[in-house]
Amino acid sequence: MRRRVVITGMGAVTPLGHSVAELYRRQVEGQSGVARITHFDARTFPTQIAAEVRDFDLRQFLGSDAARFEHAGANCRYALAAAQQALEDAGLLGGGVNRRRFGIYLGTGEGQQDFFAFISLIGRCFNPETQTVDTRQFTELALRELHAGREREQEPHTTVAHLAEYFDLRGPNYNCLTACAASSQAIGEAVELVRRGEADIMLSGGSHSMIHPFGVTGFNLLTALSTRNDEPTKASRPFDALRDGFVLGEGAGMVVLEELEHARRRKAHIYAEVTGYGLSADAFRITDSHPEGRGAIACMADAIRDAGLRPQDIGYINAHGTSTQVNDRVETLAIKKVFGESAYRVPISSSKSMLGHLIAAAGVVELITCVMALRHGVLPPTINYEYPDPECDLDYIPNVAREQRVEHVLSNSFGFGGQNVSLVVSRFRD
Amino acid sequence: MEAKVFITGIGLITPLGWRAETIWQNLRSGVSGVRRIRLFDPSALPTQFAGEVPDFDPKEFVDRKDRKALKVMSRPIQLAVCATNLALQDAGIDPARLDATRFGVVYGAGLIASELEELGPAARLCTNGQPYFVDMEKWGRDGLAAMPPLWMLKYLPNMLACHVSILHNAQGPNNSITQGDVSSLLALGEAWQILRRGLADVMLTGGGDSRLNPLSMARLCLFAPVSRRNHAPEEACRPFDRDRDGLVPGEGAAIFVLESETHARQRGAKVYGEIVGFASGFDPQRTGEVLAEVIGQALRQAGVGPEAIDHINAHGYSTRQDDIWESAGLVRVFGRHNPHAPVFAAKSYWGNLGAAASVAELAISLLAFQHGLLPPTRNYREPDPDCPIHVLAGRWREPRTDYCLKVAIGERGHCAAAVIRRFS
Repeated sequence: MRRRVVITGMGAVTPLGHSVAELYRRQVEGQSGVARITHFDARTFPTQIAAEVRDFDLRQFLGSDAARFEHAGANCRYALAAAQQALEDAGLLGGGVNRRRFGIYLGTGEGQQDFFAFISLIGRCFNPETQTVDTRQFTELALRELHAGREREQEPHTTVAHLAEYFDLRGPNYNCLTACAASSQAIGEAVELVRRGEADIMLSGGSHSMIHPFGVTGFNLLTALSTRNDEPTKASRPFDALRDGFVLGEGAGMVVLEELEHARRRKAHIYAEVTGYGLSADAFRITDSHPEGRGAIACMADAIRDAGLRPQDIGYINAHGTSTQVNDRVETLAIKKVFGESAYRVPISSSKSMLGHLIAAAGVVELITCVMALRHGVLPPTINYEYPDPECDLDYIPNVAREQRVEHVLSNSFGFGGQNVSLVVSRFRD
Repeated sequence: MEAKVFITGIGLITPLGWRAETIWQNLRSGVSGVRRIRLFDPSALPTQFAGEVPDFDPKEFVDRKDRKALKVMSRPIQLAVCATNLALQDAGIDPARLDATRFGVVYGAGLIASELEELGPAARLCTNGQPYFVDMEKWGRDGLAAMPPLWMLKYLPNMLACHVSILHNAQGPNNSITQGDVSSLLALGEAWQILRRGLADVMLTGGGDSRLNPLSMARLCLFAPVSRRNHAPEEACRPFDRDRDGLVPGEGAAIFVLESETHARQRGAKVYGEIVGFASGFDPQRTGEVLAEVIGQALRQAGVGPEAIDHINAHGYSTRQDDIWESAGLVRVFGRHNPHAPVFAAKSYWGNLGAAASVAELAISLLAFQHGLLPPTRNYREPDPDCPIHVLAGRWREPRTDYCLKVAIGERGHCAAAVIRRFS
């Protein structure tokens, strides 16, 4: 009999609030977190909108300890706040548990490169005639102008290091970065670590912010972002016929994953059980997902099988639902393939319609949304659903939340480049 | 009963070359892979040498039909893609004949630096010669248009594993571990577990990384304890030696083919070794306490004690503090039970291969088992009383048992350990 893994704590920092309760309430109300970009001057970018985290102050979560993270980037600061919430929620901020059996597996993004320092450096060292950079001049200036502390914080493993150190987590220690699937994959692998007995508790989830000049530039070049700049709150419209790309979001989510008997012994509050994990690769193209959803089908089917369920047992799907033409069409196709006739009966919604796309952090925030839906019996809607797309003809819970008691929910995350992850969470039953 | 997992293929691209025979020959002749940087002009840097892969031309390693894809790969991706091809060749595997859904990829990757030339035209347009100034209005309007459309995809760390999955139709589990210098060992541990839980028949694992570009080198010189031994680069990386003065950046890729016992036996595969134990953790004060527990856990999983270990394949950063930390961890485990266990540190030959380091280093232990000879650690002259371990130096040594321990640490406190058994 394999060890069962339950969720005993959750925390979130998102464009719709800095607590799990607020994140869920505002999704149920159908609010949008999207507005014009304020983090930098994006007035002439093709995309000038995003779902930003607002009024965030790490001191509200860590008090004076926040000063220790002076040079840390947004990824790390959001992660610290979400982790603090999750561990407090789980009653794990004090001692009392074996630290070696308490690990961390995150899917956090790389740090933000210092755009202004870096581009201004290159601008001075680039010779347009030869199309080359004077590397001697570049390195000389870089040593003078780059900020050592901030540069160090950009390494992708620093967030995990800060969290492991601050919260004294000495068990298994990982960070993965599989683009938009990262935090879901982190949770799936963390569940496996607990199942096979390498740890009793894992802090897992992710954090990411790509709302910076390099991030928006990169996604704009790929023409992946919505350019509906005049109507920010209507820009993210998954499954709607007039969708024109995704909207960048940012934030962090953390869950405490705990072995069932361990949670019981310390009388922890149990939110739900993680019952299924499936993963696959499209192995198709770096720019596009497989047109028939080959990888998406495999990971959904595997997650449901891993949970010991049949597709018709799933009561709600929190879709990857990015609001790009291709994703929403292919995800719909894949759901139909896995669910057969019951595809038309299972309610589906996309949190990204309200939160935007939190990239590496998207999966965990959506999983938290699933857990809340399971507990409260209210499924959040897909907002901005106005014009039906004949190729997206399932029940996307259009615009208004729905009261519905469900037992098992499925959360999808598909990464840029073809990594696919599905997770199943179930109402906890003895 | 969980499946046994064998290492059946090795692909390496390192500062000492890329054929196992070449690398072995270079080790035999005591050649160092650390030299003055040739890929760009390093003369303004406080550290002007590194473990550079000499004359790397990715076109030599990939099929003609796949060469176009090389254009959207940064150097770390190219290194990993090419090492993967070598690993598959070495294993004698034709991916087209595998069950694609049971063939996966878990790689370690580092922070990939953008190539300066790609940003040059846009940067030139939108700056005015002043530090920290970029005209954002211009950037949004004209800067973007001056950049390659697929720019970002060239630098995403998951693209190593993505390209490999696409080139070889690997539709199974796919992950990218970004945990600094511990990355590839964590990747190996995760791939091992994926095979043990029966999700795949064949997994590719390892990593690719490069610090050999002006930005990464400048960054490292700013915040990392990098060696400044410019007058004698080949002597700069000297793990556990009293006169060490810092780490030596490097680059390379190392990929293993891992295979379930059943699958390997069915096709009569050549087997280098078996993965028998793995653990990871975080040593917050870097006292060696947690590192020792991690090593102990890996040994228990392998079902052997410290006395069964033939040699320790150390991380050996060659920095003051990290070597003391690592030694402390090793002494806690081996001090009483196997105090003379020889310690080998591969970085002494080629520097720090970053996210590819651990698996590249472990490959030398596998080759050592195969050849019946373990190389000495280079540049180890004066023992450091703060590192009271038995570093193998000055002579080659025949393995006496079938087990090797691989240790990986990260400067922030991350640590991992794997136990490998020689196949006989």
